Amino acid sequence: MGLRSFIHRLTAPKMYDIIDKHPLKLVLVINNDLKMGKGKIAAQVGHASVTATLKAGENNPSSLDSWLKSGQKKVCLKSSYDELMQLESEAKINGIQTVKITDAGKTQIPSGSLTVIAFGPDNEDKLHDLTGHLKLL
Amino acid sequence: MALIVRKDLRLSAGKVAVQCSHAAVSCALIARKSEPRLMERWQSSGGRKISLAIDSLESLKEIMGKAKSAGLITHLVKDAGHTEVPPSTITVLGIGPAPKSSINALTGELKPY
Repeated sequence: MGLRSFIHRLTAPKMYDIIDKHPLKLVLVINNDLKMGKGKIAAQVGHASVTATLKAGENNPSSLDSWLKSGQKKVCLKSSYDELMQLESEAKINGIQTVKITDAGKTQIPSGSLTVIAFGPDNEDKLHDLTGHLKLL
Repeated sequence: MALIVRKDLRLSAGKVAVQCSHAAVSCALIARKSEPRLMERWQSSGGRKISLAIDSLESLKEIMGKAKSAGLITHLVKDAGHTEVPPSTITVLGIGPAPKSSINALTGELKPY
């Protein structure tokens, strides 16, 4: 460790302070217009989470790190296609990272259907303002 | 990547989805570090995932043991227990990313969730 990074480590705010003050979560909203099976939903939400994680790793590594360290909190909600599109544009205005998953259509639904959108990982309050009205899956 | 869900816990659909995501993210992060080439191949072929059902913790652990001895990436998800199950309940096992044949050899008998 170099001297500079040693001093930085002593003076920088502790990671848990950041976590306590700004709890982060990842919100996954599924398209409830499609009638997907439970297992299908699980896999689609998995796609969205992995993609969101890797994207956040490129764009915002420090917030990804505190999200991972605080137990990678995730919430799964449901909505309609029209509302999802609206939420996506609102999220973009507010600078929240979004990941859209469309299905290859090999199993239950037509190819190219929007199955889930991931919002975040981002500040809980910010995400609550956006998706607080949606129902749990 | 296979995500094996304990169906004996009777979790809600949303809970299962979230637990599977935990497994998927953790496996992907392990793979990115330990086997970057495999990870890249998996991602560029669409990051294929399948969720399977298993009926007990014992069978889940047995599969995990086999997967580990075959040298595959595994991650066991333990729930913090804030909602539907007691703390530290094992909910999902993630295996892979790994070649389809090695995953099929382990999980071929399991049904889709």
